[in-house]
Amino acid sequence: MNTQFVGQPIRRVDGRLKVTGGARYAADFNLDEHVYAVIVNATVGLGRIVSIDQAAATRLPGVIAVISHLNAPRLAYHPHKGAIDPATGERLHVLQGDQVRFYGQPVAVVVADTLDQAERAAAALSITYAAKRPAVDPSASDTTEIMAEASKGPKAYYPADTARGDADAALATAPVRIDAFYDTARENHNPMEPHATVARWDGDRVTLWSKTQFVVNEQAEIAAIFGIPTENVQVISPFVGGGFGTTLRTWSHVTIAALAARQVGRPVKLALTRKQMFFTTGHRPRSLQRVALGATPDGKLTSIVHEGRGETSRYEEFIEALTAGTGFMYSCPNVRTQYRIVPLDTGTPNHMRGPGEAQGMFALECAMDELSYELGIDPIELRRRNEPEIDESTGKPFSSRSLMPCYDRGAELFGWAQRNPAPRSMRDDREYVGMGCASATYPVLFSPTRARARLLADGTAEIEVAASDMGPGTYTSMTQVAADALGLPLDNVRFSLGRSDFPPAPPHGGSQTMASVGSAIRAACAAVLEAAARNREVRPIEAEGSAQRDPEVAARFSMHSFGAVFAEVGIDSDVGTIRVRRALGVYGAGRIVNPRLALSQCTGGMVGGIGMALMERTMLDARDGRLVNAHMADYLMPVNLDIDRLEAHFVDEEDPHVNPLGVKGLGEIALVGMAPAIANAIFHATGTRLRNLPISIENVLTA
Amino acid sequence: MREVVRFLQNGRVVELADVRPTETVLDYLRLRRGLVGTKEGCGEGDCGACTVAVGRLVEGRLVYQPVNSCIQFLGMLDGAELVTVEDLAENGQLHPVQQAMVDHHGSQCGFCTPGFVMSLFTLYHAPERQATRKTVTDWLAGNLCRCTGYRPIVDAALEACFNEIDDAFSRRADESIAALQAMEQDTRDVFIPQAEGGFFAAPASLDALAELAERHPQATLIAGATDVGLWVTKQLRELPQVIWLGRVRDLDRIEETPGGVLMGAGTTFAAAHPYMARIDPDLGELWRRIGSRQVRASGTVCGNIANGSPIGDSPPALIALGATIELRRGEDSRTLPLEAFFIDYGKQDRAPGEIVTGLYVPRLDPNHAFRCFKISKRFDQDISSVLCALRVTLADGTITEARLAYGGMAATPKRAEIAELALIGARPDRPSTWAAALKALADDFAPISDMRASDAYRKEVARALLAKALVEIGGTPDERTRVSGLRSGEVDHAA
Ligand SMILES: Cc1cc2nc3c(=O)[nH]c(=O)nc-3n(C[C@H](O)[C@H](O)[C@H](O)COP(=O)(O)OP(=O)(O)OC[C@H]3O[C@@H](n4cnc5c(N)ncnc54)[C@H](O)[C@@H]3O)c2cc1C
Ligand code: FES
Ligand code: FES
Repeated sequence: MNTQFVGQPIRRVDGRLKVTGGARYAADFNLDEHVYAVIVNATVGLGRIVSIDQAAATRLPGVIAVISHLNAPRLAYHPHKGAIDPATGERLHVLQGDQVRFYGQPVAVVVADTLDQAERAAAALSITYAAKRPAVDPSASDTTEIMAEASKGPKAYYPADTARGDADAALATAPVRIDAFYDTARENHNPMEPHATVARWDGDRVTLWSKTQFVVNEQAEIAAIFGIPTENVQVISPFVGGGFGTTLRTWSHVTIAALAARQVGRPVKLALTRKQMFFTTGHRPRSLQRVALGATPDGKLTSIVHEGRGETSRYEEFIEALTAGTGFMYSCPNVRTQYRIVPLDTGTPNHMRGPGEAQGMFALECAMDELSYELGIDPIELRRRNEPEIDESTGKPFSSRSLMPCYDRGAELFGWAQRNPAPRSMRDDREYVGMGCASATYPVLFSPTRARARLLADGTAEIEVAASDMGPGTYTSMTQVAADALGLPLDNVRFSLGRSDFPPAPPHGGSQTMASVGSAIRAACAAVLEAAARNREVRPIEAEGSAQRDPEVAARFSMHSFGAVFAEVGIDSDVGTIRVRRALGVYGAGRIVNPRLALSQCTGGMVGGIGMALMERTMLDARDGRLVNAHMADYLMPVNLDIDRLEAHFVDEEDPHVNPLGVKGLGEIALVGMAPAIANAIFHATGTRLRNLPISIENVLTA
Repeated sequence: MREVVRFLQNGRVVELADVRPTETVLDYLRLRRGLVGTKEGCGEGDCGACTVAVGRLVEGRLVYQPVNSCIQFLGMLDGAELVTVEDLAENGQLHPVQQAMVDHHGSQCGFCTPGFVMSLFTLYHAPERQATRKTVTDWLAGNLCRCTGYRPIVDAALEACFNEIDDAFSRRADESIAALQAMEQDTRDVFIPQAEGGFFAAPASLDALAELAERHPQATLIAGATDVGLWVTKQLRELPQVIWLGRVRDLDRIEETPGGVLMGAGTTFAAAHPYMARIDPDLGELWRRIGSRQVRASGTVCGNIANGSPIGDSPPALIALGATIELRRGEDSRTLPLEAFFIDYGKQDRAPGEIVTGLYVPRLDPNHAFRCFKISKRFDQDISSVLCALRVTLADGTITEARLAYGGMAATPKRAEIAELALIGARPDRPSTWAAALKALADDFAPISDMRASDAYRKEVARALLAKALVEIGGTPDERTRVSGLRSGEVDHAA
């Protein structure tokens, strides 16, 4: 493979547009004659709408329409499930009935000439409810856990139950044991760009300028909801201001924007406020987990039990990889995992960076750390003693696995040898200092993708894929891949994405864009070169290519990325404030297409992990399901001052099996592992084991 | 009287007659002007995506400050220069800070980028900037990025912001200054009438302000609008009548007198910062952690007092220092010890139509020792859960007077009077002598639990902070340990 550009730290091709304010995000599109829509959200957590008094709102200047279930057209809501929608259940139908399923559910939309007018009218709407007390706490006694339909059976992607050996029996007789409960908070993705959609109808065709990580799915979903042919929907999304999973699904506001535009017969712009994003654009579900480990005195694992529960809504069964890593992380003859979900009166959760792995690995890796102290064995050494030869959960070899090389390199770079193993033994002036580590993992996904390549008469090329770039640099890396494949300079390649009429791509999530889109582009480039060689006269000439995983290879190997994460914390000895003094991650992630993009993506993910460990938590009021901290002043995320020194490194890893490019993806794994590394460092600093996230100064001081 | 708002943009004076009192600069840019380069991430001053630069004359020099345009009202631009991300590149040539952001991969999704670029632009133009990583991280604390982990942005700043200032703005500074001076010389009061008795007013003199406030006691006074802006964007409150005091001549003056520091009600946190740091390093550190660079550039110290908040950061520290405030209603002025201003939750000693005109902060005497600590969940740009400030007067190592004030422990910023009494006669270097004072805090305060902290934690921390202060004072009085974060002795990873 020609790699003139792949592997090079090329500058972003979209850098200039971004620093000049020229990059257009969904809410930046202004159409002629467009009007503004503002959603009104339910102020009860469960119940029915009894009445809507819109007289005052309708009288306000500029108001064009007030739409609620009382006057909204019935929408088709044909069945449709995208790759990322929960397999079981039915999506929220908006403005179709009087039922309120969760606090903040959209119950009306106001359309007016200006945003200000629409906001005022929305505030003037008077709605009464018959409210019931919602169940919003998965640990409360009034909730019941269920086995998700899609997790039933041994073939399920996220199986409800797995077992090898007899883990419970082995645990009971294990010479050394750890058995503990972990609780991780509900989180919101909070990308910097709020969701927005601009909708315009031309007859029975609709165009949506919308924030989405999955344009072809948004197209299909809106077509299904409105009962129109898929090709009548065009979705345009050239820039996405961060997603982290929240824009994988097409949420109700997109439907509302399209519905409002159709009702008023004019283009409509609808942007969610930061607060509204907390209501209806998914969240990382809270998890409650138990991990029990049994080991021999010399640190050989004899039993792993991992039981996890995650929240879901009443109307859809959201499942994720909560216990998925447990089966193959370590060598152990007896392993049992159990995964259940708890339906609650909330909106449906969805994937958030490292979905499931982030919480599941928090529990497993904290338990491993606890075990290391119980055994008096260095935590890295403990992992070394349990490093598996193969994926013991499937019996397949790993296509590549660099966990121990990551630990070795990380330990050296981090100065692990300077660590005094005893808890509460290291101080720097008034601070207790602690060092911790944890493993990270994430699967290597690869989904069918098509790409189009076009050679023009002037010697330049155009590449088109319905992919998206929510930040990691798809524009740049795909330009690199195509330039290499075509043997052209970077400047002669124009890569376009974010339109649903381009050849289809998988969701921009699961760290698979590089593998899937990159491989398809290589195929399309090869195809167009071949066509061009056959026909030297015709220009432009175009060809499509596609890529997907070879099922035969997939059947032979277990494919995952691995990493080792290190953190050093300082705890104020008087008041318990926690500071991450430095953190370092080393990842084995296959080929790195662009080291600068990779580094930046990793440090961003690690900061997300710091947020998960110490700050991020969406709080609900148990009385009415109200989101107590649905704004940035109280939903804290790390600012740059919170991070002193952050480093990401990569070990060399060649993996010919995962995909033609040999890439494994980075976006997700970078977040996994950070939270347990911090929690383990806090234990090392203080001698206090904290198993609930986020860890707060309160826990440290009053533990 | 002038019925238009005037500001400078791209070398031209923009005149607007149609200015709604609470229309934000961000809405003006995005909705009215179609300038969509400036982004909205939160609408509440927390994320910095909407940052624009606002240039004003400070002692004849043009100084650019970063401003959260989402909570700044349009009328507050009067007399200033507005710079947005669209204005930086010159004939297709990127501004040095833009180029550095490209070179260092400062953007991923790029949504935060315009805000960062504008913050960097103001740093590039900041007069007294030191080329350290700390300067940069401090300057950028009000800009959130969810993608990059900040590192590339900080690197870009270190490369671009500390060179000789040479850009289109510095080159045309003389013209800009002349234009701003011309606007400044127009001393007419600004009054933009609205329907049904509403208005946006920006009086030019203290007399005019006092008269206007007395005539319209129900009008909303704004200084930096970092509180009031949120009433509008978050609580959707209607404020038909708004009086901005930012144009009042000399109200932003700050000076050192023999006994202390005297500042007018227009003094921002940023302007007061060096003065406060000279009184005591703890006070300087507290100031640094109030809000973000953007919030400190607009928010005023007197606004932090006048809002009556129980968790305002400056009042407890200022109370411990023995500060006094000056109020004026119509023609009548009076002076109050700061603690007397706070009566109860949401209730201050301020009559309708009365304005806070200034604040006096006494300097520390040689026999004083002072400590002040802010505890918040996130170290920077976060509201405190508990704030503790202590000033003791010492004679031969024995406390003869104590002023101990807390924020976050009661419905107002409040002195711990019982503990103060118990401190008299105690020696900081003998913990047994002040054990009673620690206990007494339980009689002074019955804090509540909320989202930020539980009552138990607050009590625990209140005690721990008092102990910390006394240990420090009694032990090595010159060694400051910060609650967390960078300390004086710690290596600063300089460029
Ligand atoms: C993102 C963000 C972070 C913040 N962080 C902090 C923090 O860390 N610590 C902290 O303490 N605060 C913080 N604040 C709150 C705010 O910045 C401060 O309270 C600030 O001091 C308010 O000053 P201002 O000039 O902006 O007041 P304004 O918003 O203009 O006014 C505030 C109140 O005071 C009244 N007022 C103002 N001036 C006068 C006057 N001269 N006479 C009579 N009444 C007057 C107004 O009518 C209003 O009721 C933060 C705010 C934001 C948006
Ligand atoms: S939009 Fe977030 S600070 Fe203004
Ligand atoms: S680059 Fe996405 S938020 Fe900063």
